[in-house]
Amino acid sequence: MRINAKDLASGIFLVLLAAIGLWLNTEHTLGSARRMGPGYMPMLVFWLELGLGMIVLVTSFFGGLDPLEKWTKLDFTTLFVGVAVAIFAYPMLAAIPALSANWYALGIAMCIGAAIMAVSPGWRKMAVILAAMTVFGVLLDQGGLFLAITAMVVVSALADPEHRPLGVLGCVVFLLALCWWVFIYELDIRVNVWPTF
Amino acid sequence: MELLLANLAHGFGVALSFDNLLFALLGAFIGTAIGVLPGIGPVATISLLLPITFGQPAVTAIIMLAGIYYGAQYGGSTTAILLNLPGEVSSVVTTLEGYKMARNGRAGAALAISALGSFFAGSVATILVAASGPLLTQVALSFGPADYFSLMLLGLIISAVLAQGSVVKSVGMVVLGVALGLVGTDVQTGQQRFTFGIPELSDGLNFAAIAMGVFGIAEIILNLERPEVRSVLSAKVGSLFLTKEEWKRAMPSVLRGTVIGSALGILPGGGASLASFGSYMMERKLSKGRDEFGNGAIEGVAGPEAANNAAAQTSFIPLLTLGIPSNAVMALMVGALIIQGIQPGPRMVEAQPDLFWGLICSMWIGNLMLLVINLPMIGMWVKLLQVPYKFMYPAILTFCAIGVYSINNNVFDVYQTVFFAVLGYVFSKLKMEPAPLLVGFVLGPMMEEHLRRAMLLSRGDPMVFVERPISGVLLAISALALGMMLLPGLRKKKEAAMAG
Repeated sequence: MRINAKDLASGIFLVLLAAIGLWLNTEHTLGSARRMGPGYMPMLVFWLELGLGMIVLVTSFFGGLDPLEKWTKLDFTTLFVGVAVAIFAYPMLAAIPALSANWYALGIAMCIGAAIMAVSPGWRKMAVILAAMTVFGVLLDQGGLFLAITAMVVVSALADPEHRPLGVLGCVVFLLALCWWVFIYELDIRVNVWPTF
Repeated sequence: MELLLANLAHGFGVALSFDNLLFALLGAFIGTAIGVLPGIGPVATISLLLPITFGQPAVTAIIMLAGIYYGAQYGGSTTAILLNLPGEVSSVVTTLEGYKMARNGRAGAALAISALGSFFAGSVATILVAASGPLLTQVALSFGPADYFSLMLLGLIISAVLAQGSVVKSVGMVVLGVALGLVGTDVQTGQQRFTFGIPELSDGLNFAAIAMGVFGIAEIILNLERPEVRSVLSAKVGSLFLTKEEWKRAMPSVLRGTVIGSALGILPGGGASLASFGSYMMERKLSKGRDEFGNGAIEGVAGPEAANNAAAQTSFIPLLTLGIPSNAVMALMVGALIIQGIQPGPRMVEAQPDLFWGLICSMWIGNLMLLVINLPMIGMWVKLLQVPYKFMYPAILTFCAIGVYSINNNVFDVYQTVFFAVLGYVFSKLKMEPAPLLVGFVLGPMMEEHLRRAMLLSRGDPMVFVERPISGVLLAISALALGMMLLPGLRKKKEAAMAG
């Protein structure tokens, strides 16, 4: 049998999502076809999704070979540990009063998870880019726009081994100037430029 | 006719205001830049510039965003011809003949005909938009809720059928998009759906966060994982002037490209890339120089380049007249309009004459600007190609992050973007086409509205969708489109066309 692994995974993804959606939808009133309640459209949508997912799943067994990329043991471990730690860390961090507001706990938990995943070379580029963006979110309100941009660019530079310190510095200076001009001077978005404590 | 002229005069009045001219130029300029640069496309760019347009009047915002889309069609050909690397998906076929022409020392001619052909096609398509707009609007005003629902269904199905890869998976992506659109407050009862008690989600998922995550950030990660293709400029640009012989060969191709491009642009699910593929296939079969294909036939550049620009303009027709986005870029335009407080639909032509006629006139002005931006300034764009990707991606990332934050001044939206970036990355690894998802997300809530209204009017009888003539015909076309893709012969043909 020539299994199309990409289709198989897509099918499982769609079926799982539809099942979760249908389960969550049980708390909404369905109503009738004439007077549809909030749950009617979701019901139609998720049943349709379930059906489509099933078709993708079943046909994947005859789809011809299309394997997924090989994952190393390290990839599996870091993915599992990273996600588990992030999920575990979020409620713990949210319990700390200083971090409960403004989604700080979520941002920090995501950073920790991404940092763990970055250990594996297979995830590094993705994890570093996601971490860079999350760091921006964590730093923006207290640290101000300039600090957040600087941190984001420096972190994101780790994704490309060709980056040299001087080049990153130039990149930071250029982007600070550009963003100040576009977002602060021209558009005047409401955000702190410098750190506030 | 007189009315049309009066309307166009009004439109030029709007489009020629200083601000609108400036932003049309800016859009055309940015569009060319991202068209030239491989690795960033119009969908990502428009979504990351979406937040910047909030402060502007709706006309100005749409003029700029539209400029990016058709500007990218001009810019994409430059990279394709000079480097054998498509700057955009829609210029994939231009590499086939264009690069060969460059190798033969006719790079200048190839660049010139693609710019001139694009300009010609763009002008014709603009007139088409202007003429068909009010007509189609009249038709659309007689649509009831059931007809609207069926029309949107048709749009969704065709956009899935014409997407790359498996049809069932694409339909699955459309439905997934509709499902994502369910998140938020139910309009009729006020009940929170799928918000998990998160107050930020009560207005629904952030449209810009989805677009930027799936198209912008995920794209960066994928580009970084791919080893960078360092391509050196292999040929000199040379003279931009065409010989008489070349003119003679290129003209019919430009005309054919304009026709096929305009037609494929209007089609739901169509757009620039489909048009250039279609035109290339046609030229290879029909043009006089078909024997020269593979050795730098000018027809293979002129046709597709005219077609992709024509399609970029005419794909605005369903959006402006019916309020239905036909591809991911148009879905972004709907997003931009809704954020501006304008509900796209058939009443837009009358209620927002500034927007409709201003946009049309600015398209023509924009095309004229692009001619200047692209031909005499070609040397500058070639220089731009030498900027390595490692300096580009931090800039894209920064603009995404600040842009998505500035919509609601809430960092939660930044984290949403991160979430959708992961999703976009997974989609790409599983070969799930993300463009239909965006169209589904935009159309989903509108479809629910119309479905509810139609069923209320028909007292719960679903037969209304088949009994109403307009709706019935639209549903029949949808079924036909789906059915045709299940035939193995046609499916193979589509795959061949898409493989380019």
